[in-house]
Amino acid sequence: MKEMTRAGFVKSSAAAVVGASALGAIATGTAEADEHAGSEPVVAYVRNPSKGEIAVMSGEREVVLRDRRLAARLARQVR
Amino acid sequence: MSSHREAPAISKDPVADNTDTYAFVSPDDPNTVTIIANYLPLEGPFGGPNFFEFGDDVLYSIYIDNNGDGKPEVTYRFRFTTNVLNPNTFLYNTGRITSIDSSSWNRQQSYSVTRVVGGGAATTLATGLACPPCNIGPASTPNYARLASQAIHSIAGGRTVFAGQRLEGFYVDLGAIFDLGDLRPFEKLHIFGMANSPGVNATKKFGVHSIALKVPKTDLTAGGGNPTDPNSPGSVVGIWAAASRQKSLMRDAGGVTVESGGFVQVSRLGNPLFNEVIVPMGQKDNWNSLTPQTDKNFLANVQHPELASLLPVLYPGVFPNLAKLSAARADLVAILLTGIPSGLIPGFQNFTGNTKADMLRLNMAIAPTTSNPNPLGVVGGDLAGFPNGRRVFDDVVTIELRAIAGLTYPLIDPSYKPDGAASAVTDGLRQGDTSYLSSFPYLGTPSSGYATAPLGKVA
Repeated sequence: MKEMTRAGFVKSSAAAVVGASALGAIATGTAEADEHAGSEPVVAYVRNPSKGEIAVMSGEREVVLRDRRLAARLARQVR
Repeated sequence: MSSHREAPAISKDPVADNTDTYAFVSPDDPNTVTIIANYLPLEGPFGGPNFFEFGDDVLYSIYIDNNGDGKPEVTYRFRFTTNVLNPNTFLYNTGRITSIDSSSWNRQQSYSVTRVVGGGAATTLATGLACPPCNIGPASTPNYARLASQAIHSIAGGRTVFAGQRLEGFYVDLGAIFDLGDLRPFEKLHIFGMANSPGVNATKKFGVHSIALKVPKTDLTAGGGNPTDPNSPGSVVGIWAAASRQKSLMRDAGGVTVESGGFVQVSRLGNPLFNEVIVPMGQKDNWNSLTPQTDKNFLANVQHPELASLLPVLYPGVFPNLAKLSAARADLVAILLTGIPSGLIPGFQNFTGNTKADMLRLNMAIAPTTSNPNPLGVVGGDLAGFPNGRRVFDDVVTIELRAIAGLTYPLIDPSYKPDGAASAVTDGLRQGDTSYLSSFPYLGTPSSGYATAPLGKVA
């Protein structure tokens, strides 16, 4: 499993494109089609929203994103 | 049991439940080692129409530590794929299955084998290897032994592999042992005792799913050499098996499930009964997720095993010396966590260093015993048996019962006198309570559903 900052995650990880795109859509509130989004399901696991750690998984790929604001925003959707 | 349903979480996930691991120098091919990893505990042979199979979503692994650090230097991975020929029938087989590629077998399973050395890239050894179907009965799977033998595959590098249903080889009187440590042959001495009676093999006729791998010894050693010196540390390897699942499981509408993420270990097994008997309930699921290199965290459980304190209570007056033995059990630490160093047992060692790690430890330079092997292994004077690796017929329940009862403590403290019962205690079973093959994959032909009667009542 890789660990990286959100900026590094978006810039450098080709494997994370699907996850980053999906999370980006949630974060900005947009729902536009993204040619990089693909059709394979993506799972984001926010283990502890207060720490901002988000595991993004698709297929056997998994990256860990650290973003307290995004984690908090996701958590607010279900609370 | 050895490791059947031994922890709360894995008992709910039988497809990934690693029940037994065996490792021994192949008696009929002594330049090779056979390793068998079993999964799917207590398969009732009549368990259709969805008979037992490996999990397509499970990563099955066999690990080799050849430098004593409790971490794998060589890994074999197995991944399975199920192919349903006709999804519009409920039938497992739509006719008689006379070969493993028969179109009458509606739920065919195949697998790949890869090998990883250190942190290097995986090398694919084979793909598309056929499993056999389960043994259903004379109408569906006639001449099952011949049918299953078609699933023995020779693959790259002089290796041989089989993956499929086998007869359970581990024998144990579960019904009695889990009834407050009752051992039927000594029942009269139990605190809630009754008349003594013969042991009952609770696993008799049950099936299991085995991954059996036979490899040249040179596949396992650090330098790729062929070990010939029993005294050499390089002749000993540590071996364990495991199963892993992807981190996330989403259950969606329509019965759809989506698994994603990296693989997380959910089951592992080196020495039989380690997680079952040594590790306390609150730690068992955690233990299953760990690698052996961290087993120093369970050292106290080995030094002072709960069962050693229970035996004198359950059998009042039978184990007086064990009751007084308060020292840390260095004998059990050697057997289970470090291997037995040279100088304790003439002609034998399987020491891998001071790293505390639960692994089978096999001294590959010790020749297999081909004539009248003793199922009590090293404690019975047969250096080719458990805890020098583990053969399919080794009586690990009796061996470990006797060791925990104090029989092996004089290896560490010659002044200690084991109780008389320590060399007699047993659950009353022997290897004849099940059957084996004399050649690969060594575990016996599974009982068919048709031919197996449901469990009866103990007389």
